[in-house]
Amino acid sequence: MMTLLDNVGMLCIFMGLPFFLTGTVGLLRFPDIYTRLHALTKADNVGLGLITLGLSLQADNLFIVAKLILIWILVLIASSASCHLVARSAIQKNIHPWVK
Amino acid sequence: MSYLHTSCAFIILCAIAAGMIRILQGPTAADRMMAAQLFGTCGVAILLLLAKGLDTIVLLDIAMVFALFAALASITFVRRAWHEQTGASR
Amino acid sequence: MMPYSILTAFDIVLISTLLWLAWKMLRSEDLFKAVVLFISFGLLMALAWVRMRAPDVALAEAAIGAGLTGPLFLSALRRMERLHKDERRVNIDEERKSETIFHTQQKETP
Repeated sequence: MMTLLDNVGMLCIFMGLPFFLTGTVGLLRFPDIYTRLHALTKADNVGLGLITLGLSLQADNLFIVAKLILIWILVLIASSASCHLVARSAIQKNIHPWVK
Repeated sequence: MSYLHTSCAFIILCAIAAGMIRILQGPTAADRMMAAQLFGTCGVAILLLLAKGLDTIVLLDIAMVFALFAALASITFVRRAWHEQTGASR
Repeated sequence: MMPYSILTAFDIVLISTLLWLAWKMLRSEDLFKAVVLFISFGLLMALAWVRMRAPDVALAEAAIGAGLTGPLFLSALRRMERLHKDERRVNIDEERKSETIFHTQQKETP
């Protein structure tokens, strides 16, 4: 039973890793500030959510699970707030989105 | 188990080291700041994985501090530091 | 045996990234770029303290080094640029005053 949960958690962690790599590749390769914001804030948060899920499947007690979920919610709030702030003030500064 | 967690942390650290290129050659100021925010998110993931891999639960608190203060840095950047001189160069 | 080898690779990548960041931070002409490099240097330095088995120092480094000093540097940078603008404006005004005085003196002398 314990080993099954551990294996499923490890699978979730391995599924979360490509999202981080995709976020970094998107940050390096995308042409515009808005597309870079998109790649960064969304892909990384999904990857962090999968890693949190995997680690909470492997956790020892419920306190650690609650703490992991709290960390993930904090990162979600922080990154979405800063993403919206940066995108809105980039629009206000007349930085045009990349076309074609 | 510990070996698998630390190797996952190593892969995410490689992602951080690649994202540093964007800080060094970002055209606008917001790109550099976004790369710093990528450092924050990836650092949280590395700390969570190391907390399991090294068996130190204290690292979860450091991950929480990372999550809070990375947001503080980018909010301060938008409110205070991003104006026409450093900003809209394109 | 295996965890030590992957942790050694982790440490090598971490240390080389830290050294590269510190060198680029010292050598950068742009002050804003230096501040962003400083913030990311603080985040990676917290990871280095974690690897040196000092989580309390890592907590202080993440809170003070990256969290408080970075935003303080950002707002200090804006204030400094504003001060430089004021200095420039004062200098231009003084130059104009001296030029007008010079011109009036030239007009009065003949």
